[in-house]
Amino acid sequence: MNISGEHLVQAIKYLAAGIAMGLGAIGPAIGEGIAAAHALDGMARQPEMEGALLRTMIIGQAITESTGIYSLVVAIILLFVV
Amino acid sequence: MLERLGQKLILKLELGPLVVSFDVVTVAMSLVVSLILIALALWLRRAIPRDPEAPVGRKLAFLVGAFDFFHEQLLGGFSPELAKRLFPMITTLFLYVLFSNWISIVPKAESPTQNLNVTMGLALMVYALSHYYAIRTKGARVHFRSYLEPYPFLLPMNIIGDFGRTLSHGFRLFGNIFGGTILITIVLSLTAKVIAAIPLAAPFGLVFGVGLGTFLNAWFGVFIGAIQALVFALLASVYIRLMAT
Repeated sequence: MNISGEHLVQAIKYLAAGIAMGLGAIGPAIGEGIAAAHALDGMARQPEMEGALLRTMIIGQAITESTGIYSLVVAIILLFVV
Repeated sequence: MLERLGQKLILKLELGPLVVSFDVVTVAMSLVVSLILIALALWLRRAIPRDPEAPVGRKLAFLVGAFDFFHEQLLGGFSPELAKRLFPMITTLFLYVLFSNWISIVPKAESPTQNLNVTMGLALMVYALSHYYAIRTKGARVHFRSYLEPYPFLLPMNIIGDFGRTLSHGFRLFGNIFGGTILITIVLSLTAKVIAAIPLAAPFGLVFGVGLGTFLNAWFGVFIGAIQALVFALLASVYIRLMAT
């Protein structure tokens, strides 16, 4: 079996895309979970604030998600562009 | 199935030294989405009665309820005059993104929003509009001076902040919708391979595949699509409000 540099690049490309996506998904997942937990806390305490809390929670989660989106973009670039 | 994932049908037009390329499928799909929205608007408009004393029909009640919902959810907490000016734009943005996301549940159809050019275009439009509304409400002098706050040497940070905000606004929608499409394709083709490897599983393969495909499309197409459309419109209104007040 002779492995040339091209095959190595291919293999490492897929590996890198997997690692980028896998590690990048941890942070946003934990962060969004914390945001949802605290929003639920607030809703249980003050059910009349539900609308405003939901809206703010979604904005916060969307911004928290950015890092996950960046790692997805990096993974996509690794898979299809590099 | 997996081999065709990154491929696109590109139409290249050469206008002298300028080469303009179009993604034919994306242009066609976004025209289809626009036509659906126009047809829906024309159909719902007929529900508005000519004399205001007429009894409220079902369509009119739906229309009023939906508009109240949009006003409450997308523009809650805005000053009334800014909300009045922003409402048509933000609602149109929401409906366009929503229907663009939802159209991917039709087999063979592609969301326009899974193309980065579309989402980035929408994000840049929101960025330009936020400057427009900021200049209209505060005046150009006050608006551009706000870039020197809190300290003048933080000007690069403010500019980078604007840049990153717009970039992540476009990438968020693109990443979520495109990621969902990739996931649907990968899960379905992997399942097909697993079922093909198990003997005696072939009769159940079709039923299982159709069920799994329906579930995945319902989750990524309908649910995530609605959430992301709401997030996109909400962030657009928040960005404009941050600039304008």
